[in-house]
Amino acid sequence: MSELLEVCKITGGYQKSKPVLHDVSFTVHPGEMVGLIGLNGAGKSTTIKHILGLMEPHNGEVLLNGRTMADDKDGYRQNLAYIPETPLLYEEMTLWEHLELTAMAYGLSKSQFEERANALLKEFRMTKMAKWFPSHFSKGMRQKVMIMSAFLIKPSLYIADEPFVGLDPIGIKSFLDRMLILRSEGCGILMSTHILATAEKYCDRFLFLHQGKIILKGTLKELQEQANMPGSDLDDIYVEMTKEDRHD
Amino acid sequence: MTNVTELWQKRRADYWTMAVKYLRLIGNSGFLFTIYLLFVFGSYYYGQFLQWLPETFPAVVFFTVVFTWFITRGRVRTFMKQGDLIFLTPLEGKMSSYIRSSIIYSWIMETFWLLLSILVLAPLFFDRIDGAGSTLISVFLLLSGLKLWNLLSGFEEQRILDKNHYLVHTLLRTGLNGVAIYGLFTQQPLWVIGLISVALTVFYVGYYRRLARSYSLKWERLVDIENQTVMTFYRIANSFTDVPSLKSKVKFRRWLNPLYGLVKFERKKVYHYLFARSFMRANDYFGIFIRLTFLGALFISIVNIEWGRWFVTVLFAYMTAIQIETLKNHYDTSQMIELYPVGLDSKRAGHQFWMAVLGTIQAFIFSITAFISYGISGALVVFILAMATYLYHVQLRLKKKYETST
Repeated sequence: MSELLEVCKITGGYQKSKPVLHDVSFTVHPGEMVGLIGLNGAGKSTTIKHILGLMEPHNGEVLLNGRTMADDKDGYRQNLAYIPETPLLYEEMTLWEHLELTAMAYGLSKSQFEERANALLKEFRMTKMAKWFPSHFSKGMRQKVMIMSAFLIKPSLYIADEPFVGLDPIGIKSFLDRMLILRSEGCGILMSTHILATAEKYCDRFLFLHQGKIILKGTLKELQEQANMPGSDLDDIYVEMTKEDRHD
Repeated sequence: MTNVTELWQKRRADYWTMAVKYLRLIGNSGFLFTIYLLFVFGSYYYGQFLQWLPETFPAVVFFTVVFTWFITRGRVRTFMKQGDLIFLTPLEGKMSSYIRSSIIYSWIMETFWLLLSILVLAPLFFDRIDGAGSTLISVFLLLSGLKLWNLLSGFEEQRILDKNHYLVHTLLRTGLNGVAIYGLFTQQPLWVIGLISVALTVFYVGYYRRLARSYSLKWERLVDIENQTVMTFYRIANSFTDVPSLKSKVKFRRWLNPLYGLVKFERKKVYHYLFARSFMRANDYFGIFIRLTFLGALFISIVNIEWGRWFVTVLFAYMTAIQIETLKNHYDTSQMIELYPVGLDSKRAGHQFWMAVLGTIQAFIFSITAFISYGISGALVVFILAMATYLYHVQLRLKKKYETST
C-alpha cells in the first residue's frame, strides 16, 4: 500500500541540544484514521509541527505523497489541512470571511467555495453566525470555524490536534461523521486526542507517544498483544503503559 | 495590610513606573515632532487669530464655560483595584489617610493641568479680560482652590448609590462652579469672592461631610473611576505605541465594505484580502491613517509658505507610510498563515497594493485641500510630492523590508 504520510526517523525539537522527539517513525495510509495518543508534554504537538513544516527535524524527514516540504513548499501544504488545539482566528474577520480567505489560499473557485461553505455552515449549525466576528463566538464555535475551514479545502491529509475540546455533542458527531465519509473517500487522518473511548471507536490504528518516543503502535488488537493485555480497552492499556514508564 | 498609606504610596509608585515607560515611548515616537510642529505654527497663528477675533466675542462666557467644565470634571484618583472589593472593604473605617492621600494627589495633578490650560489661554485672557499678570495669577490660584473644593465634594458625592441622584449632585456642583467662575472672570470685588468662598466652605462642611457620615463608600464606582482613568491613559498612549493591556476592539466600519471589492477572488490575492480587513478594522491602523491625513490636510491648508507646505506634504505622507508598513508584522503570531500554500511574494504584492491605494487616496485629499487654498498649480505640486513619497515606500522601502526578513 502506498503511503500518504511517511514520517521517517525524525529527531527534532526547538533546541538541537535538547531534542523533544527521538527517532519517531510512522505512516498514515490513504483511507485511514490514525490516533496519536500521549500524555501532556509527550511530544504530540511537536510531532504535528514537524509534519506541518513549521519546524525542521534535526534528523530524518517527513514525506507527504512521496515529497518533502523542501521539494515543493506550496504543493506540500496544498495537500494538508490542520485543525489546531486552540482555534487561531483573525479577530478582524467574520466567519464567512475566514472561509472565503481559506478558499482563496487553497485555490478553490468561487462557485466551489460558496457551495461547500453553505453546506458546512448548515451542517455545523452556524449559518446564522456567518457575518459574526470571532469575539462573539464561544470556544466551541471558534473550534467549528477551524474545522469548517479544514473541511472546505478537501485535502488528502487532515491533521487534527484535540479537535473535540469545547465542541457540543452535535458538533462532535458532525465532525466524526464527516471524518468517516472522508476516510471512505480515501483521505488520511491523523488525530491527536485524550478522549480514548472516541479514539478507540473511530481510529484504525494508534500511536502511543511517550517522552518523545513511540512506545507502541498498531491496531487495538496489536496493542493488546504488545502490552500483553488481551481484551483490554484503550484506556487500560494507556494507563498501564504510562505506569510502566513511571517506574523507569 | 495594616498601613494603608504605605499601600497607597506603593500603588502610586507602580502606576508611575508603568506610565513613565509609556511616556518615554511617546517621547521617542515621531508624533511628538508633530506636536512640536503644531506648537511652532500654533504660536505664530495664535496672534493672528486674536487679531481676527471680533471685538464682540464673548470672552467672559467662553472662559466661564471652559473652566466650569474643567473644574467640574475629574474625579479623585484612588488607585483602587478590583480585588479591593474583597480585601480592602473590611478596612473601610481605617481608610481616611488613604483617601486623603488620593485627594491631595488628584489636586496636584489637576492643578498641573489647570496651569497648562491657563497658559494656553493666557494671550486671550490678556487681550480681552485683563492685561495684568497678577490678575491671571490670582485667578489661577482661586481656580485651583475651587478645584480642591470640587474634589472634596465630588468624593463624598460618589457615596450616593442612585444614579440619577448622583447626577443631580454633579449638575448642582456644575451650577455652583458656573456662578463662582463667572464671578471670577467678571472680576467681582474681593468681598463677593470672599462671600462665595465662605458659602462653599459652609456648604461642604454642612452638607457633604454629612453625606460621608450617612453613606458608605461605593467601592465599585471608585474602581470604575480608576479603571476609566487608566484606560484613558492607555488609549492616549496607544496612539503612539502598542499597549498590550489595551486589547483594541475590532471595528466593523461597514461603510468601507465597497473598498474590499477592489480585491478579486483568486489565489494570488489572499494577502490583498487579508491586509484590507486588517487595515480597515484592526489595531487602529485606519484611525491613524485618518488622523495623519486630517492633520496633514490641516497643515497644508494653513501653511502659506510654499516650501513649508511641500515639507509638510512629504512629512505626513512619510509618517503615514511608516504606519502602513507596520502591517507587515500584523500576522506574526498567527500560525495559520504560515500553512497557506501561497508564497511570500504575494504577501509583498498585497501590502504594496494597499499602500499604493491608500497613498493615492491621501495624495488626492492633500491636493484637494491645497487646491482650495492655493489653486491648481499648488495642488499639482502637493500631489506629485505625496505620490513620490509613496512610490519610494512601495517600490524601494517595503521591497527591501520583505527581502531582509526572509
